[in-house]
Amino acid sequence: MQKLGDFKLPAFFNYPPYFSLQPVRDTREKQVQLWKELILDYCRTQKIFVIGLEEEFPLFSNPVIERSLSNEAREAFLSALVSEGRAEWLDKGHRKCLILWHRIQDWADIILRFAKDNGLEDTVTTVEEIRTGIESRGTELHGMDRTVLMRALKLLEHKGKLAIFKGTSADDEGVKFSV
Amino acid sequence: MRRRPGIGGLQTAAAARDQYRLLGENVAKLRTDLMKEQLATFRSQLEEFARKHKNDIRKNPTFRSQFHEMCAKVGVDPLASNKGFWAELLGIGDFYYELGVQIVEICLATRPHNGGLINMQELCNLLRQKRKSDREAISEDDCLRAISKLKVMGSGFEVISVGKKKLVRSVPTELNKDHNQILELAQAQGFVTVDEVERRLSWTSGRAIDALDTLLEEGLAMIDDGHRDGRRRYWFPCVSSITSSVGADS
Repeated sequence: MQKLGDFKLPAFFNYPPYFSLQPVRDTREKQVQLWKELILDYCRTQKIFVIGLEEEFPLFSNPVIERSLSNEAREAFLSALVSEGRAEWLDKGHRKCLILWHRIQDWADIILRFAKDNGLEDTVTTVEEIRTGIESRGTELHGMDRTVLMRALKLLEHKGKLAIFKGTSADDEGVKFSV
Repeated sequence: MRRRPGIGGLQTAAAARDQYRLLGENVAKLRTDLMKEQLATFRSQLEEFARKHKNDIRKNPTFRSQFHEMCAKVGVDPLASNKGFWAELLGIGDFYYELGVQIVEICLATRPHNGGLINMQELCNLLRQKRKSDREAISEDDCLRAISKLKVMGSGFEVISVGKKKLVRSVPTELNKDHNQILELAQAQGFVTVDEVERRLSWTSGRAIDALDTLLEEGLAMIDDGHRDGRRRYWFPCVSSITSSVGADS
């Protein structure tokens, strides 16, 4: 089994036709399904949040069988994720894609659990603290994408679970949980 | 002696007929009894044999296949009924029904990938993976028997020969001779190109493209436009081994 770092690649990754968009509907559906799972799996284990369509991305080519995905194929697979709410285009031209292996709602739940586990109710912390602080070390929140984190925090704010406010430093915001 | 007319003559003739009939009945009865006796002996011998070699039949695929051959020669089908004394004696019916169910499962699980056509060898490998808890080994012969039992249900399971390989078909697709020839050609590398088909089989390009399109439509082939030479390749998951772990995992 071929590996990318410590990531085990599925068998289809070594089968050349999976790198060409299939013309027959049923076959294409199966192909798209396999790629969707692979992309989500890979991003989750490697903590990758943004995929650039025109950039180097280990899954987009397989040097062993000398195949790589066309831009059309890349966009097709990512669009399939977008339509399921597991990804979002970051630009109109569909060149950058935000991968949500957890949906925003799921991220919000993880943040709430994190706040409870660490006794952060009714205390103030910052966005950066959540991403890089000691408490989040070893959790999925550690090192997470700021855009995704802000989206999840905004959702929680909307639900009245916390308040976001401008902190003293310009580049960071404060978060007050009121769970 | 000259036959005399009259009632006496008729009576003699009737008596003779009765005698013949009686004799005939006796002979027939004797024969049936003898037959019954022979059959009983044969059956008990076969039973004894089966009982004696029960473990061999269960554990050893070669022995099992030979046992089946022997049964076939004497006109006994141990798989004919699950209620038969064979089944009770050997549990052999259950063995093949279980195998049949597992074959159906594998065919269904891999169908999205191979379009419902699977290499016999690969099927056996997947079966072994699936049954690794059972120590009883299985052979291709066992697969063939199990599949022949599936055919009875009219579910479209069939073994077809393409070149040297056997393929198991689990979809009702009818493959014509052209398709078979392409599959045979593909066995060498796992794929073919239109050029190759035209050249090797001396077909017109229309005929080649037509057959390949059908195979694509049926989900038996996949296109690959990624090779350096720019020629489209048609891959056949049912003949290449790369598929082994796809489908088995899902």
